[in-house]
Amino acid sequence: MSYFEPFIIPFSVGVVILFAVMWTKFISWISALPKSDKKLIIRNAVSKATFAALWEVFSECLLHRRISRVNPRLWYMHMSLAFGWFLLIVAGKIEGTLYLKSPVNPPYVDVFFRKYFPEAHIPFMGFIMDLLLLFILSGLFMAVLKRFKPSVYGMKKTTKHTAGDRIALSSLWAIFPLRLTAESFNSALYDSGSFLTGTIGNLFAFLFPEHVLQILNETSWWLYSTALGTFFVAIPLSRYLHIFAEIPLIFLRSFKIRAAAVPTTFTNLEIAACSRCGICIDPCQLGRNDIANDIQSVYSLRNIREKCNTVENSDNCLMCGRCENICPVGIELNTIRISQRYKFRKNDNPYNYRYIGNRDFSQGEGKTGYFAGCMTMLSPKIIQAMEKIFRQSGEEVWFADKDGGVCCGRPQKLAGNIDAANRMMELNKSLFIKHGITTLVTSCPICLKVFKEDYKLENIRVIHHTQYIHELVQKGVLKLKKDNRKIFTYHDPCELGRGSRIYEQPRAVLSLAGTLVEIDETRENSLCCGGSLANTRLSFENKNLISKTLTDRFEATGAQYLVTSCPLCKKTLSRTSNIPVIDIAEAVS
Amino acid sequence: MGKRVIIVGGGVAGMQAAITLKKTGCSPLLIEKNIALGGKLNNWDRLFPSQTSANEIINGLTDEIASLNIKNILCGEVSEMRHDEDKIEVNLTDGNTYEADAIIIATGFDLFNATQKEEYGYGVYNNVITSADLEEMFRQGEVKTSTGVPPSSVAFLHCVGSRDLQVGQGHCSRVCCITGVKQAIEIRQALPECQVYNFYMDMRMFGPGYEELYKEAQEKWKINFIRGRISEASQTIDNRIRIKAEDTLAGRPLKLTVDMLVLLIGKKAAACNRKLAADLGLSLRESGFYAPKDNFTDNVCTCKENVFIAGTALAPKTIGEAMNDGTAAAIKAYEYLNRFENGK
Repeated sequence: MSYFEPFIIPFSVGVVILFAVMWTKFISWISALPKSDKKLIIRNAVSKATFAALWEVFSECLLHRRISRVNPRLWYMHMSLAFGWFLLIVAGKIEGTLYLKSPVNPPYVDVFFRKYFPEAHIPFMGFIMDLLLLFILSGLFMAVLKRFKPSVYGMKKTTKHTAGDRIALSSLWAIFPLRLTAESFNSALYDSGSFLTGTIGNLFAFLFPEHVLQILNETSWWLYSTALGTFFVAIPLSRYLHIFAEIPLIFLRSFKIRAAAVPTTFTNLEIAACSRCGICIDPCQLGRNDIANDIQSVYSLRNIREKCNTVENSDNCLMCGRCENICPVGIELNTIRISQRYKFRKNDNPYNYRYIGNRDFSQGEGKTGYFAGCMTMLSPKIIQAMEKIFRQSGEEVWFADKDGGVCCGRPQKLAGNIDAANRMMELNKSLFIKHGITTLVTSCPICLKVFKEDYKLENIRVIHHTQYIHELVQKGVLKLKKDNRKIFTYHDPCELGRGSRIYEQPRAVLSLAGTLVEIDETRENSLCCGGSLANTRLSFENKNLISKTLTDRFEATGAQYLVTSCPLCKKTLSRTSNIPVIDIAEAVS
Repeated sequence: MGKRVIIVGGGVAGMQAAITLKKTGCSPLLIEKNIALGGKLNNWDRLFPSQTSANEIINGLTDEIASLNIKNILCGEVSEMRHDEDKIEVNLTDGNTYEADAIIIATGFDLFNATQKEEYGYGVYNNVITSADLEEMFRQGEVKTSTGVPPSSVAFLHCVGSRDLQVGQGHCSRVCCITGVKQAIEIRQALPECQVYNFYMDMRMFGPGYEELYKEAQEKWKINFIRGRISEASQTIDNRIRIKAEDTLAGRPLKLTVDMLVLLIGKKAAACNRKLAADLGLSLRESGFYAPKDNFTDNVCTCKENVFIAGTALAPKTIGEAMNDGTAAAIKAYEYLNRFENGK
């Protein structure tokens, strides 16, 4: 039986277009993945990674659990729309299956079940369907409210949508009130509704004569079908592609596929998975300080998808990782930004940095290597403190850049100059291998990040001096005298905290040397000092503006010393701080 | 008794303003936060380009202030000012309040804090000093390193805390170039065996006799001027200073070890400017120095008709320029106070 009726045409056309366009996109992206990624899929597809992904699809695509950590009301809004709609589809399918005694029916029969079979009274199902509809409508009400009053959801700003997204949004918003109306008219004629549609149906039956009800019923089902069809067509063109894109993303991610600085089609999938929820807007310090309100990740990803991203937009970002940290979809926002910069790179001359040759300015010998980093070399107090700590450790130390050295490459990578970065990385790596070190200590979190992630230093343990000091203290080699009158506050550098997840060691060390008092936004929520070398567009005044908002808060703790563990943070914060800014090495040496 | 004018700041500009006002018949009150009049000049030994003794200038001014019986308050720090139409109230931290018909701000400048450029090692390495520290050595009559011996080589670095956006000092401090030339010559005069290097961006020899002195420094005193910035300094095992720089004329990097590094620190807008400007409703330049009403005709006046500014509160200036400002501000204040008598 075909059950064809004209009013299902908009719905059916929408479904066909949606799946045709969407599958074309997904299949072309996945088939264009690099070979190494495809190998990962083959290796991991039959493993527990698949089950983990299935669970994540349920808990994230439907339940949106990560949003619950941002704000409970915001979570309810997202969850009721996604999970509610999913349950409504499932319940509709059950209803159709039970009534027709067959699970294989055209989809529109399940979706428009009441229209087809108003006489069907399956126990509880009417009640369940009304309950689910009410559940979704409550979420819809909250979504409308969010557009006018984001503060209810703990948000200062919500996404400013483009016209296309607004059309898609309107069609989505229209779907559920139209379903309510259609089912209520149906109930007015055939008494097919439960507590919600039944009650409204009775009201309609009281208000309109039967021949008018007939026309209104027919019209509202047409409208409902049209709203669904419109929304389906809009999905691949709008932010709602995220509904489906997140599913393959979760699977590929659990197969250990990651975005890369030189972008692959995995990046396309990540970009498509952005729901433009706007959760990334408030944490952005450029927005908080009103420096830029169009560069936040939600807008950059949209620009990339709509092929209108600019070099200015791509460069104007601290890459502090606060947005990436909070993104409920887990999109690798920093890597995507680097790959944009790679696309816009100007520094493509193959002769650039060729002159670095194979310079070796290192001094000393030892299994432990120390790479101070350029910024540390400009902060002699840190060098002095580290030299003292190395003497106390009794270890022989090979000093990689004592008399100058080559940059670790991270600044070039952040600027998208991947080739130049590789050239520097190769040289430094060859020095580390040549001198046979087994541990590499660095004072700069920027260097640390690139050593750990891009150098692929097998057999060399890479640590930051914060970890090194902590280990010396634990071994009893470095003895700290606790002085409770010394009051420290601690600033987590972005690349050490969010970038390398080192939060405990500096706090443990400082607590052994004195009293530690903290501000409320720390660890993964810590703020950028403003001096980030990832942002090449930020003016000096605006850097100081950001720095000042931090130092004001640090000073309010009553601390005597603002301690950090990054030479760049130290430099930036000391420009605006009224209390001394010191490195953790200085605090304990 | 004449009209009351308070002059905040007893440096050369403030003293000169007070002297001029007294001679016009007004009653100036000079408020100085330090223990003596003379301002930063008290810390200087000799002045460019003529090597005139700083004391000579200060003594001349203080003598005149004493002989004219000009009232002054020492150790008086302003806590707050209130501007009320044609009256200004000045509160000091000791609780005393003074009222005036007009006010001249001559609060001067702050020296740039060289520890902000940690890469040069000031406050970290013993033999990195500032131009102000060197001036103190000249006053003591002995230039020596931390180990107490005369240096056999000295490097000067120009533009520390000037023309440097990294430390928020975009402006040129003007006088450090010629100070660097003067001090380099003085080192050579005191220690004829000492090698002297000056690292500069460009030499701004704007005043009378400056260019001539720069030439003399090269020809007569054999001072090495190297165009390029020092990128970093480090300390050797024997407490000498190892410098990394770039000779931009030769186009090559350069490493040099010297016994002493002198940082020619710039003039920074005084920290008190922000507060006083807010109290009186005055505007500041981006650099933090006071903005005059007009850059040409009213360059010691402000948008408040009874508030005047003189000296380095406005911008980095030489001693002579600051004294001229003092005279100009005093005359402008006198004109304002006698505006009715003059039929205005």
